Amino acid sequence: MTLREVNSKMVEATVVPGQRLFSQRGAMLAYKGEVSFTPNIQGGQGGLMSMIGRRVAGEATPLMTVEGSGTVFFGHGGHHVQVITLTGDTLYVEADRLLAFEGTLQQGTMFMGSQGGVMGMVRGQVTGQGLFTTTLKGHGAVAVMAHGGVFEIPITPQRPVHVDPQAYVAHHGDVRNKLSSALGWRDMVGRGSGEAFQLELSGNGMVYVQASEEKL
Amino acid sequence: MFRLQGSKVLAVEMTGDAVKAKNGSMVAYDGQMAFKKLSGGGEGLRGMVTRRLTGEQMTVMEVRGHGTCWFADRASEINLVGLRGDKLYVESSNLLATDAGLRTGTTFTGLRGASQGNGLFTTTVEGHGQAAIMSDGPAVVLRVSAQYPLTVDPGAYIAHQGSLRQSFQSGVTFRTFFGEGGGEAFQIRFEGDGLVYVQPSERNTIAGDV
Amino acid sequence: MSAYGAAGAAGPVVYDPMTLPVDDNVNKYTFCVELKSGQWFLQKGKMIAYYGAIDFNGVGHGRLDRLVRTSFHSPLHASDWVVAEGSGKMLLADRAFDVNSYDLDDGNLTIRSGNLLAFQPSLALKQSIVPGFLTLIGTGKFVAASNGPVVFMEPPVRVDPQALVGWADCPSPCHHYDHGYMTGVMGGLRALTGLGGASGEEHQFEFVGAGTVLLQSTETLMAEQATGAVPHEPGVPGGGVPATGRPQQPGAPRLPGQLGDLQRRFGL
Repeated sequence: MTLREVNSKMVEATVVPGQRLFSQRGAMLAYKGEVSFTPNIQGGQGGLMSMIGRRVAGEATPLMTVEGSGTVFFGHGGHHVQVITLTGDTLYVEADRLLAFEGTLQQGTMFMGSQGGVMGMVRGQVTGQGLFTTTLKGHGAVAVMAHGGVFEIPITPQRPVHVDPQAYVAHHGDVRNKLSSALGWRDMVGRGSGEAFQLELSGNGMVYVQASEEKL
Repeated sequence: MFRLQGSKVLAVEMTGDAVKAKNGSMVAYDGQMAFKKLSGGGEGLRGMVTRRLTGEQMTVMEVRGHGTCWFADRASEINLVGLRGDKLYVESSNLLATDAGLRTGTTFTGLRGASQGNGLFTTTVEGHGQAAIMSDGPAVVLRVSAQYPLTVDPGAYIAHQGSLRQSFQSGVTFRTFFGEGGGEAFQIRFEGDGLVYVQPSERNTIAGDV
Repeated sequence: MSAYGAAGAAGPVVYDPMTLPVDDNVNKYTFCVELKSGQWFLQKGKMIAYYGAIDFNGVGHGRLDRLVRTSFHSPLHASDWVVAEGSGKMLLADRAFDVNSYDLDDGNLTIRSGNLLAFQPSLALKQSIVPGFLTLIGTGKFVAASNGPVVFMEPPVRVDPQALVGWADCPSPCHHYDHGYMTGVMGGLRALTGLGGASGEEHQFEFVGAGTVLLQSTETLMAEQATGAVPHEPGVPGGGVPATGRPQQPGAPRLPGQLGDLQRRFGL
């Protein structure tokens, strides 16, 4: 595996010629060997369309391409880091939670609203991150940042999981999401606020939740 | 049943029973849950009035249902405290959740609150059951007994239980090369028989600068 | 015997002066120092609790002059340090950062001033030539904090300045500028507009030669401890100018949850 957790706040990446890596700008802590860092304007791959998509999405998280031969250490802001390995499926994650990911993964942008109606709107309102979210698809490893570490909750058809949108980090698998509200919750937090809803995830997969209601 | 998931998430398995938790601290749940806002931490009207007077801000919710509910608050470390009839004193901002059967109230704690800007009152938890308290970094639990009194920095103090007397003492004499005053810092001295919880971090304190 | 905390296996570990470790970690974030009629230098605000009879005095305290003369050579931030003396056990911690002790055996180690918590008087503390760093020389123990566990690396290595905790023995820390990153479209834009700021990718500290480099997981969260200005005299780098370090967030204590500075980083 290219990405390895050194400790709870640092990952180590092995860079070999011909296999590039993308990382958030400013996240490099140290490196050994001959490694070059090139800032990308449009963030990863995807060409013009993706660039426009990003403009619209407001997901302007600056990325850089990491190439060469050596070892690179990544970390950022003292946040906890979790490496998630994808084997052909799609990971949904907010762009500014991405610390680093392998170049083999296909990067895209998805309109969350298309998956569950109001969802996108409220997510956007709650997290202040717009209606779009980043998708990574294929085979490879992703290092994701979270405030205070993440824990995994499996989603099974019998047991849908409800997550506070502000504590939601990422999910993968064959999962549908929609907004719901538990009995009494809306009365408690106030009807008007975006917090009145929970993200209900159902199907088969895994959701990553952080130990905090604060976004990065 | 309280269980820690990692050190920063509290998982509570419920089978129709209830817990009291800091408002909005739910991060996820499965199964069926119902939420109810509780007015003030104390018992009934008297508790509410006390709260009004003390200005202690603790908004509490009751969660009842079947399934697992996960709680967390700003990535704070969570410590479980078992109570068997004794009383826990905790800064209200550090209380995450208690068994619904535990009584919560407010007590006057004097100066310490003032030095923390936390008000003069502290939350008390009483009865038989479990409570989850929060700290910045995992708390260290220190025993106080007759032969071992303990001195604590006010900014690192989070909670205590048992029958303890507290007093204030001045901490450091700061006299520097330039004669500029660092002032004096306060420390809290605990004597008696009980446990004190301290966190590996100091809140912004007015006086506890040791 | 106390009635409290006898909860058995299920409850948390309860410590008393007998069970607290001697000059060792209680957990990853708390360190216990034992004093037996001895002395330790502490940075102000890092002692969280103690048992026993321990006095704390500012470094300027007259009675300590002799000790300060032999062990403390950094007068410009003397007001940040106190001497603990007496007998007992005291707990040290720093904003819930990882805390570790290091033993020097007739050695030297240079450390970011904000990361150093405490040291034994058998070590001498001096200001490093590199602004913002302190050097400990001699034989003894010191305690330092880091954001996340410290990772040790052997030179040659290039390190983001913000991730550097310190180094031992390395004779030649120097600056390295990444030419490729500075040029090109983005580099040009930044040079023209000043937008985008600086990050570790265009500028690193480079270490070569024999030694050890100490690395933490980033970065701006550790408040920079002012080391004061070095004397204004010929041949002294940075003389007369207060060593402010990089444009840091002010040294205000971090509240729980106040992490990250994506906004600043992204120039928002």
